[in-house]
Amino acid sequence: MLGRILANFKRYTFLMSQMVSRDFKVKYKRSVLGVLWSLLYPLLQMAVMAVVFSQMFKFRMEGVNYLVYLMTGLVMFNYFSEASNSAMTSIVGNFPLMNKVYIPKYIFPLSKCLFVGINFLLTLIPLFIIILFTGDANTHCVINIYYLCLPFAYLCLFLFTVGLGFILSTISVFLRDIFYIFGIILTMWQYFTPIFYDITILTPQLQKVFYLNPLYHYIDFTRSIILYNTMPSINNWLWCIGTSLFVFIFGCIIFKLKQDKFIYYA
Amino acid sequence: MITVDKVSMKFDLGMEKNFSFKQAFINILSFKKRKKKEYFMALNNVSFNVKKGEVVGLIGSNGAGKSTILKIVSGVMKPTKGKVEVNGVVSPMIELGAGFDLELTARENIYLNGAVMGYSKKFLEEKFDEIVEFSELKDFLDVPVKNFSSGMVAKLAFSIATIVDPEILIVDEILSVGDIKFQEKSKNKMLEMIKGGTTVLFVSHSLEQIKELCTRVIWLEHGEIVKIGDTETICNEYYKKQLG
Repeated sequence: MLGRILANFKRYTFLMSQMVSRDFKVKYKRSVLGVLWSLLYPLLQMAVMAVVFSQMFKFRMEGVNYLVYLMTGLVMFNYFSEASNSAMTSIVGNFPLMNKVYIPKYIFPLSKCLFVGINFLLTLIPLFIIILFTGDANTHCVINIYYLCLPFAYLCLFLFTVGLGFILSTISVFLRDIFYIFGIILTMWQYFTPIFYDITILTPQLQKVFYLNPLYHYIDFTRSIILYNTMPSINNWLWCIGTSLFVFIFGCIIFKLKQDKFIYYA
Repeated sequence: MITVDKVSMKFDLGMEKNFSFKQAFINILSFKKRKKKEYFMALNNVSFNVKKGEVVGLIGSNGAGKSTILKIVSGVMKPTKGKVEVNGVVSPMIELGAGFDLELTARENIYLNGAVMGYSKKFLEEKFDEIVEFSELKDFLDVPVKNFSSGMVAKLAFSIATIVDPEILIVDEILSVGDIKFQEKSKNKMLEMIKGGTTVLFVSHSLEQIKELCTRVIWLEHGEIVKIGDTETICNEYYKKQLG
């Protein structure tokens, strides 16, 4: 079973790479700065949020480099929202193609998540620039040995997003309303994820509710490494791997069960 | 090579209805008894098989289920009932240029569309020059396809689609695209592919082409097989039934 899945996967890697590079070419066609936008965009976005929250609302975090705090959360949430959104629309958007040629359908959401993922890797460059060059004597972050664990959190984020992308794209076939509903959910999600504030400013009850948000754990994982130079707790590891695997597998099952019906709704 | 066993294909015509709150609301207010779901049997208990090297033609009036059969054999659709077994790689020549991205250049599209058709990277790199040559678009390789005329797009698509030596070829009408010169060239290329000893499933409304190419014919009507058999006899019968 696994062997068959892998063989099938291998057969279509070329198509997948073609689709990812297509997205890249189309995205930056006719923009003067091109791929530089992948670096600039999160930087500028962060600058706006930094001004709003640290200057206007006077957010303070003792002993923490606020810019890095903001940026670690922002790059991950940005990945999540963009990838899940484009994965969601990928099936319906490719109906004309699906109607003519046989292509395994999982390729569409997966290639979108990969494409945004490459963009995400580019946004890590400005993140590291900020880690290295900002903060005063007390709050300066240093690169440490635990950085080797960072890919784990990003992998969990990826699996979680792919799984959710499968679920959303399946729903979108039968219920186009999901495009709007999920847009609202994303807005809510952004405020309910501690990106620009710390979870400890909330009441203990509310904190428990926030604990159910997988994104919080992925972000928290990277923050304990980048900001506090510590190994993430066992608890943190388990939450990351548990939520991401659960959503990924659940998404795969839903998608597999329903994919043969997609074509009738095209 | 291709075995189609008791295949039925049911389309739910009610699918579009009751799909929005507005419609649901109207239905509640109108107190009408909800109609039983309407179905349309695109195929009803169809069985046939195609041996290696055979060229089988499908004939029948519009809506008889010919294209549905092609879609089932090429894997685009799964049948509601029954089994389809296909041994070999299918090259569907149903609609060309399905995988084009108009923003990309011709060069980029050759790779993208080739990947959509299931070709490998190595194969495409080897055949790249041949594709370009056949398409007669050498000077426009780095122009975005959106700036192409429709004839040029068709030429490019045709050249990519027909570069393979397919195991199983699925053809929905012989395509002749582009200008007169290219029409002749593309038609010959397709005839060459069909006659080349591969297994072919061929849909056409031109009885002459069917008679010329097919070793066997399946006559479909309303999703059911009317007759299978010798090309000459069935074509004549079909012609009489339709116009006599």
